[in-house]
Amino acid sequence: MAALLAKRQEKSDFRLTIPSQTRYLNLVTGLAKRAALVAGMDDATAAKVSIAVDEAVTNIILHAYGGEEDHTVELDLRFTGKALEIHMWHTGLGIRGDQIVLPDPKEYVKHPRKGGLGLLLMSRFMDEVRFGEESGRSECCMIKTIA
Amino acid sequence: MADLSILVRDAGGASVVEPSGFINAHTVRQFEGALERLVQEGRYTILLNCRDLNYISSAGLGAIMGLIETVRENQGDILLCNLQDNVFAIFDTLGFTQLYRVFPCEEDALASLAEQA
Repeated sequence: MAALLAKRQEKSDFRLTIPSQTRYLNLVTGLAKRAALVAGMDDATAAKVSIAVDEAVTNIILHAYGGEEDHTVELDLRFTGKALEIHMWHTGLGIRGDQIVLPDPKEYVKHPRKGGLGLLLMSRFMDEVRFGEESGRSECCMIKTIA
Repeated sequence: MADLSILVRDAGGASVVEPSGFINAHTVRQFEGALERLVQEGRYTILLNCRDLNYISSAGLGAIMGLIETVRENQGDILLCNLQDNVFAIFDTLGFTQLYRVFPCEEDALASLAEQA
């Protein structure tokens, strides 16, 4: 019994499904920030997690779904004890990790342009960002280790 | 409460834009529209006072980036002040603090503009 309880405390999940509409971004980022705080992160780190989640969900809504509002984005927050894992699932256009080219901030500053910064923020603010596919759905997984 | 409200006023030869709330993909058109109106009116010196800005995503940064060349070509600039820690972290992480002049408060930003004039 004690082992079971310990296992439950070691890893627990929280799941939320939202329509693919940007009006829900604030709800999702607020949840991500609270989750990071519950996981034991400080305010500054929690803010970075929420920004990374905003960028990831925005990418799904605007790029994977092309702005179509009648789909869903499923978020699965996993508290492992050592890290907060945020899995985001969708059925839109998926991307593979090897397709991603992150902009160089130094070059970006020299040649400013709109766009291209979301993935960079995700990779800078999270410890791990990966993309995959399972059972016909695409996934973006981001992990933040608890310091 | 709305996700974003924007106050625009004049001070010391600059147009001061005060976004309050969150700038993300949902609210960015409102923010972009406010900046574009200023540029269309020939007001090229813009100070973003971010004291009530809780959050800005890359969509908001893109809106600023989209106008920086135009304002500078017209002898203007976009300055920033009163950045909250998390907003500063976003700008700094992306190297934007090298691209924009950032001031701790509005008075310092306006004083810098006055010195230039």
